[in-house]
Amino acid sequence: MHDSIHPHHITFVGTPNCGKTTLFNALTGLHQKVGNFPGITVEPVIGKIQIQHSTVHLIDLPGIYSFLPKSVDEQLSVDIIHNKISDLPKTEYIVAVLDGSSLEKSLFLFSFIAELGLPTIAVLTMVDEIKARNGILDDITLETILGVPVIPVVGKKGIGLQDLRDSLHQTDKFLVPNTIVQASANIEQRHTAVREIISQVLTIREDKITEKLDSFILHPIGGPVIFLIVLGLFFQSIFTWAEPLMSGIESLFSYTQDYLRSTLPDSLLRDFITDGVIAGVGSVIVFLPQIILLNIIIVFLEDCGYLSRAAFLIDRIMGIFGLQGRSFIPLLGSYACAIPGIMSARIIPSEKDRMATIMIAPLMTCSARLPVYTLLIAACIPSIIVGGIFSLQAIVLAGLYFLAAISGLCIALVFKKTLFRGATLPFLLEFPPYRVPSLPSLLIIVWNRSKEFIKNAGSIILLFSIILWALTEFPKAEIPTGMTSLQAERIQLEQSYAGTIGKTLQPIFQPLGFDWKLTIGVIGSFAAREVFVSVMGQLYSADVSDSDAQLRTILQQTIPFATAISVMLFYVYALQCISTIAIIKKETGSWKWSMIAFAYTFMLAYSTALIGYNLVKLI
Amino acid sequence: MFRFGINKDKKKQMIPLTTLAVGTRAAIASFSSNNEFTERLQEMGLTRGTEFTLVRKAPFNGPIELSFGSVRLAVRTTQSDSIMVVPVL
Repeated sequence: MHDSIHPHHITFVGTPNCGKTTLFNALTGLHQKVGNFPGITVEPVIGKIQIQHSTVHLIDLPGIYSFLPKSVDEQLSVDIIHNKISDLPKTEYIVAVLDGSSLEKSLFLFSFIAELGLPTIAVLTMVDEIKARNGILDDITLETILGVPVIPVVGKKGIGLQDLRDSLHQTDKFLVPNTIVQASANIEQRHTAVREIISQVLTIREDKITEKLDSFILHPIGGPVIFLIVLGLFFQSIFTWAEPLMSGIESLFSYTQDYLRSTLPDSLLRDFITDGVIAGVGSVIVFLPQIILLNIIIVFLEDCGYLSRAAFLIDRIMGIFGLQGRSFIPLLGSYACAIPGIMSARIIPSEKDRMATIMIAPLMTCSARLPVYTLLIAACIPSIIVGGIFSLQAIVLAGLYFLAAISGLCIALVFKKTLFRGATLPFLLEFPPYRVPSLPSLLIIVWNRSKEFIKNAGSIILLFSIILWALTEFPKAEIPTGMTSLQAERIQLEQSYAGTIGKTLQPIFQPLGFDWKLTIGVIGSFAAREVFVSVMGQLYSADVSDSDAQLRTILQQTIPFATAISVMLFYVYALQCISTIAIIKKETGSWKWSMIAFAYTFMLAYSTALIGYNLVKLI
Repeated sequence: MFRFGINKDKKKQMIPLTTLAVGTRAAIASFSSNNEFTERLQEMGLTRGTEFTLVRKAPFNGPIELSFGSVRLAVRTTQSDSIMVVPVL
């Protein structure tokens, strides 16, 4: 037995949905690192396994169909295989993952792999599916034809994994494949060669289960009904399940702040720790429940095979706005929060469609806008019933949601006709067979994405939060004695840099009917939109108590109706969220797109508020 | 040069993929344009002469689902109007 002394690198190559990632996760568990390539949606992952006393590095590449890439993601995989990416180890050994239930596509890809002339092992996945379809696969003959070892596995159940593990650290088990197609064969010739091989090794029946399920799930009437039910559950779960966790995290952090405030001596350092750092860390962690939940649901829907069917059903409607079926998920997710929504745009394979989706995601009415809307609606829209059953306040709220959605989709169309013209990837949806997802593999993927969020976007969000804290805390104002804490906060805010900025920018917001207090509220919202409510509380009700009901009464008396409409319209469009700006940078790989998103939403917010304000004043 | 690969008799029965009825079986005759989309279709196994079934159409003139071998895939009608097929009797 030959054990290599140096850790060797093994690259896993396979078609999309071939079970490669499940296999990879079963082999490496949590010992993996996600490669970070700006602007690339799918993650090349490097994992480590320890076998006996030697370490082996495994590299999992995004799935490909051939070595003729059609998208940036596929290009990355092909470039890594061809050693064109300098910061990754050279391709030495290859594990070709062959999907037994879809052998033609897998062997077609293998015809390219074989031409590399590198030592290779073939792993045959989905052998349980071949059995379930009364199929027989002659892996011994396949081994002879391909010229490499063929190891059958069932990644989910761990069958064959030990065999594979044993082979992975013995480099002499890897063999250079036989030539299975003539040099420079075209696509048709490759398929002909592959079909000839399959006729010798595989007999399989049609997948009746998938066919049967599809007749329900894609039924002309039943399909859309099931689709709406799934969407309803999806929407409901991110709102209702994540909500208690989020408020739990918020109270945990505010408890920690209170505890430190009461135990540490009164100093600037204490304020920096409690209001700067802890509040900042809290504003990162608070996103985790939604990110985790949304990712669990999306990975589950993707792995069980439903996501591409849902995309099939909704594609026509999304197509009107220049988007595609899969854009629906990130946009819907953005209704809870744009952060997980934008991250989930990775499920869109076409780069331009993904970019257009990301750019309009901030316009979807996220849950942080809700406290602002409810406060202003309660304060300024009369609580009357129109048309017998409809509350005017509810109609206004629904109107704001609808306005955001329809504007977002129309803007997507504008983006697709200008900046993201054409489709880089031809629209083509593959329906994988219905499968029960592997739970451990799902959890590993969700774990990696959450870790990535904290590491990459989290650090920017934390930095911004601390800067915003400093802007409201400095310069220190002289607080006269005998003031209530709320009055003291108001004076501090007024005299801080944030207050100065608010007053300086006031002329810009004057035409929208904002006074300097509203302007500070709008600027404070950049930390998070719901901050508007607490800033309003500090500025308006400083002389009374801070209870919500009284704030409403005060706002009702001091804010004109036209101004309230103007503020609401501004919040419909404005990208006042540093976390969203950070995540756009992370997901597109460039500050440029964050800035473009910020600029266009600001112009839209400003002009709509201006028009709305003046229209209401006329009436 | 795919379009010259078909003999005259077959050419008479050729119809555009988009006019094929649901549930019909047909064989790919030609891709009149050769782009990334048609290249990807061929990579997935839908080469000239390959028989497939048009399984269903999505509502409101949405994508159409084709099935061949163990592959099921959906394509947009607007993209696939250049694909000519010969119905299998």
